[in-house]
Order: sequence, then structure tokens, then C-alpha cells
Amino acid sequence: MTEPHTGAHEDEYRIARLRERLAGDDVAELGIQVEQRGGAVLLTGTVPTVGHRDEILLLARGELGGLTVRVDLEVACADAPDRWEELS
Amino acid sequence: MSVATGPSATGSSATAAEDAVRVAAVGDIHLGEDCTGLLRTAFDGLTDCADLLLLAGDLTRHGTAAEAEVVAGEVRGIGIPVVAVLGNHDYHSGEEAGITRVLRDAGVAVLEGESVVLSVAGHKVGVAGTKGFCGGFVGRSAGEFGEPEMKAFVRTTRLSAARLTAALGDLAVGGCALRIALTHFSPVPDTLAGEPLEIYPFLGSYLLAEAIDSAGADLSVHGHAHLGTEHGMTAGGVRVRNVAQPVIGKAYALYHLHPDGHGGPAR
Repeated sequence: MTEPHTGAHEDEYRIARLRERLAGDDVAELGIQVEQRGGAVLLTGTVPTVGHRDEILLLARGELGGLTVRVDLEVACADAPDRWEELS
Repeated sequence: MSVATGPSATGSSATAAEDAVRVAAVGDIHLGEDCTGLLRTAFDGLTDCADLLLLAGDLTRHGTAAEAEVVAGEVRGIGIPVVAVLGNHDYHSGEEAGITRVLRDAGVAVLEGESVVLSVAGHKVGVAGTKGFCGGFVGRSAGEFGEPEMKAFVRTTRLSAARLTAALGDLAVGGCALRIALTHFSPVPDTLAGEPLEIYPFLGSYLLAEAIDSAGADLSVHGHAHLGTEHGMTAGGVRVRNVAQPVIGKAYALYHLHPDGHGGPAR
């Protein structure tokens, strides 16, 4: 019987599971990108609040334990614009 | 495109052109119950720089009526008309009817295959809205074939597009000086640039663009594509703007439209 493979492909499934959990009922964040880069897992995207970013980070570290997690999650800017676009 | 230096965040009364209809728009604000007041400061300044506010769906995070109360609190009484469509997040908990009711109680015109005519800035401005749905773009789209699930998927988009065509048609009959198509899903791939190509079919459908081009519009506004870009155009020449908040990077985007513009191809 062939022994099950472990290794890099297992990380890929863990990342897929994290994406599913991010899209699940609790977090409901579909706009977060999760990708392997340079031996680490990179999370990118924009979230409404700092609290949401912390929530995602906690979930990622739990799901990806043992892997290096790098986070480039921005908090959405809630400022009014200082310019408009003229459509003529 | 021309970008002019506009009113300050504190609300200068300066305007670019006196005949312009000033449209503020944002989508994908994803407000949870812990987000009260997040956008209110910016929205309070809208009376100084905009004639109407468009909300392009995904207003809530989990799609609950309780979250819609937060959204309602952000826009209630801001002094200009507010028109919205819902997004996929707003359907997640099966409370879309409750969300619609909460927003309408706050004075928001919530559209799903419908239109509204506003008298703003001395003009009749019509907005036709639908959430829309996905399926992909010309040459790379899902077909109404095979399993019942697949047929239902494509028919959902087709129905939504048909209702958008009818709603825009109503506005043409009504003699609006400007017509705007408001959706959550994208009508064109242009504004998806930056998203993974593999997920384009889940971000919009050419059927929405076909509806816009066949009925005519001055502007198409959508959200949904967080990693996309702001500017696009339909095959028929209608300008498209992706106003997902992560894309525009502000509380809202501002567009000045002129009623004597080209007016869309099917006018």
C-alpha cells in the first residue's frame, strides 16, 4: 500500500481550509487573499476595522500553526475624498 | 478621465461646473454590529459635495437585519437621497427582506430590478438597480446547459439582467436627464483587473453589460471586486466605475455627471 504523502501539498490544503474558514459564518471575509510566498504564507486584503484584522490573524495563526504567517491587511479608509472625477 | 481637485473633506462649497449632478458612491462597506459610526463623519459632509449617494451592495458583513441597523444609522438623515442595491453578503443569513425593510425605514431606496427617479440639482436623475449575479464574460462564460443547478445559476443572472433592462427602459420613458445603472456584481471585466483571472466568472456577467448597452445609461456603478480597479467601459461605450471601498480607498467616490453628456448608446 502506498504511504500517504506529507509535506508541501499538505500546506496547500491547510491554506485552502483557512480560506474556507475566512469565508465561513464567523468571519465572513471573502476578500482576503492567502498565498504561499518565499516559505511563508501571506495574507493580503482590506478589512473594515482593526478588530476584524486581529480576528483574521488569530484564525490564521491557529489554522497555520508551524508556518510563518505574514500579514499585509489594510484597514479601509473611512475619510471623505478630496477630489472628484469629472465625467463629461 | 479628468480628475479635478474637489471639495475638501470638511465640505467646501466649491463646485466644478454649475450644471453637474454630483454622485457619491461606495460599495462593500461590510459593516458589522461593531462598526457603528465608522462612516458617519464622512457621510455627514455629503450635503456640501454630492447630490445623491449610491450604495453598491455588501453593506453588511454577515447579512443580518441587526447589521442593517448599523448601516441605516450611517445614512439616516444625511441630507441627500440614498439609493442602494444589496450584495451577496447581504443575502448570507437569509435576512435580505429584513435588511431591505430596515434600510427603507431609514429613507434608503433599495432597488432589486426596480428604478427610482430623483429630482436633484435641477434635473431628473434615474437610478435602475439590481444586485446582479455572476457567470463570466464574453467567450468565457457559463452556459444554461446540463444539470438543473447549472441552469438555475445562469438563469438567475439572465433574470437579473432582464429586470435591469426593463428598469433602465422605464427611466428612458420617464424622460430622465441622467440614467445610472447600479449593481453589486460587475458588468465588465475591465474593473476586475487585479483579481485572479480564475475567479472572474464569479465576479460578474456580460449579461449585465448587455442590459446596460441595450437600454442605455450614462454611468454604471458596481462593487464586489475588492482587488479590481475603478475604471472600465462597456462594449457599447457606457462608463463603468467599481466603487468597492477597498478599490476607491475612501469613504466614497465622487463623480460629476453632466446631463448634456453623451447619454448612453441606446437613448
